[in-house]
Amino acid sequence: MNPILALFIYFMLTMGTIMVLISSHWLLIWVGFEMNLMAMIPIMMIKQNSRSTESAIKYFLVQTTASIMLMMSVSINLMLTGQWTVTCTNNMLSSIITISMLMKLGAAPFHMWLPEVAQGLPLNSSMILLTWQKIAPMSILYSFFPSLNIYIMFISALLSIALGGWGGLNQTQLRKMMAFSSIAHMGWMMAILCYNPNIMIINLIIYLMMTVTLFYIFKNNSTTNIANLSLIWNKSPLMALLLALILLSLGGLPPLTGFLPKWMVAQELINNDNTIMALIMLMLALINLFFYLRLIYSTSLTMFPSMNNVKLNWQYTKSNKYPLTIIILSVISILMLPLSPMFINLY
Amino acid sequence: MALTHMWIHSTSVLSKCLKPHVAPCLLWGFHFADYCSSSLQKSVTLSGKAPSQGKTEENLQGHHQREVALDIMSPEEKPEISFDKAIIDEIKDHFRRLKVDIVNHWIGPEGRPLHEVLLEQAKVVWQFRGKEDLDKWMVTSDKTIGGRSEVFLKMGKNNQSALLYGTLSSEPPQDGENSSSGYCAMISRIPRGPFERKRSFDWSQFNTLYLRVRGDGRPWMVNIKEDTDLIQKKNQMYSYFLFTRGGPYWQEVKIPFSKFFFSNQGRIRDVQSQLLLDKISSIGFTLADKVDGPFFLEIDFIGVFNDPAHVEEFAYENSPELNPRLFK
Repeated sequence: MNPILALFIYFMLTMGTIMVLISSHWLLIWVGFEMNLMAMIPIMMIKQNSRSTESAIKYFLVQTTASIMLMMSVSINLMLTGQWTVTCTNNMLSSIITISMLMKLGAAPFHMWLPEVAQGLPLNSSMILLTWQKIAPMSILYSFFPSLNIYIMFISALLSIALGGWGGLNQTQLRKMMAFSSIAHMGWMMAILCYNPNIMIINLIIYLMMTVTLFYIFKNNSTTNIANLSLIWNKSPLMALLLALILLSLGGLPPLTGFLPKWMVAQELINNDNTIMALIMLMLALINLFFYLRLIYSTSLTMFPSMNNVKLNWQYTKSNKYPLTIIILSVISILMLPLSPMFINLY
Repeated sequence: MALTHMWIHSTSVLSKCLKPHVAPCLLWGFHFADYCSSSLQKSVTLSGKAPSQGKTEENLQGHHQREVALDIMSPEEKPEISFDKAIIDEIKDHFRRLKVDIVNHWIGPEGRPLHEVLLEQAKVVWQFRGKEDLDKWMVTSDKTIGGRSEVFLKMGKNNQSALLYGTLSSEPPQDGENSSSGYCAMISRIPRGPFERKRSFDWSQFNTLYLRVRGDGRPWMVNIKEDTDLIQKKNQMYSYFLFTRGGPYWQEVKIPFSKFFFSNQGRIRDVQSQLLLDKISSIGFTLADKVDGPFFLEIDFIGVFNDPAHVEEFAYENSPELNPRLFK
């Protein structure tokens, strides 16, 4: 892409999300969503093949449908209350806005598009889809969390965690696996949103860090399936170790950073007398952990058969394309659990 | 004499079977005719050996005239036809396949443990060892647009290969629309799951297509289609040539997937892209070399394997980013 054009498009992508974050007027929020969508389409189609075009079309249709629902409920809210501010007292309208945001996020039961779209994109675009594009809808849900329908949120949370785990079980394609992992993590965020939205923010930030780290490791090795990823022990063994730690963190195991959101969500749910929900969510999270562990088994714990017979491939080219980025992100994704008192003080 | 007698009896039995059910068949569509013929087949397997002997004699003497196996049954047998039972059986079959699908989901991708799938270096996807293998394919020719080519598919000798044969005719149909004609093709059916859901093949661990064929020297085209989620994608395919040598020896053709070029609606596009192997829907062989006359292609099996020496990702790079030398 032309560098000036690329700069403009990425700027528009960023500005769209920031407009959604800072606006208190529904129309500007909608404008922000559309700017985001319009900028995302050329990013998705940066590699001109029919699969990317298919993903872009599917993404566009889903996002537009969600925007239609949002604008419809905003218009009815305007008709009923006469104002554009970001509040919604009508139960039905807030349910419709919730469903619209769930559709934008790719949370169950509106999740079917996310794995297919993520699979059709190059790694960079897939990373942006699964990280940056979550921020704007989450901010909307955060801003009117008192009016959220708790039943929709809980059903969506349980379905997301269940379907995210179930769908990711058999994936050999990494982008689809990350999409199902995203669905499951959205479930955890939905569950806690009605009780304590600040924990949702902490959950989102930590999830974003871990996902970006993983994608940078995939980009470093230009891998898109497990078979290719299993050969990193030969090229850069340290990356294999890092991958294992980050996947365990994503699965929510202590003493890694990923344990923090799960611990806080479960504790908050139990404090609000919702022990059953916490129990079911933790049990369903084990399915997620299972397929992360399977990925760790084939990449880090076993030496996958490779073509050369040495423990470390001769380094003809630089084995680490993003040294500083991966290091910083890995430290954040693995070693931040001791900072949990700081996070607890936040809420 | 005996043959003629058997043939007359078979047609009379078939007419008895089909006549009272023609009206509902026409109303409900051809699908129900399948139940009719399948129940015919079932009752034939129960009957005695006399019909099979007659069939063998027919096969020896007149096999090129009749390619569909007519299971001839004795006149005393009355076929059991029950649409309700057939519908219930089909629904039960779909639910059984759904249960198998769910159980396979627990085991691993494609119903096998993950390490088995990851360690696979070669896989035979289609092979021709029996009539049920032919059901996974369909043949088409320009007869659909009014041309005169003919194509047939049958099992080869000793049930060890499939024989695709026929006559190519490049005479265009006289309909004022088409000025050229003359193609024959054999296309694999899209794999289906329970409730006829479209499935696809995941060949992302492999990088080469392996064909064991025996042709007659004609140039064929191998076409691969990706998963047709969107309707516009049904016209898109990736193709490469298959030059057959003819002669008595089998030919083992290895085509790397990086060599396949993209075409949409029959036209090769300027903007080329790599064949992505994670959602392959079907493969096909087409003959359209504008040479009228008979042709044949014998196929033993079609497989995919991983050639570690082949490192090319894509053979046709014609965009300024990928190949700036061309655009200076």
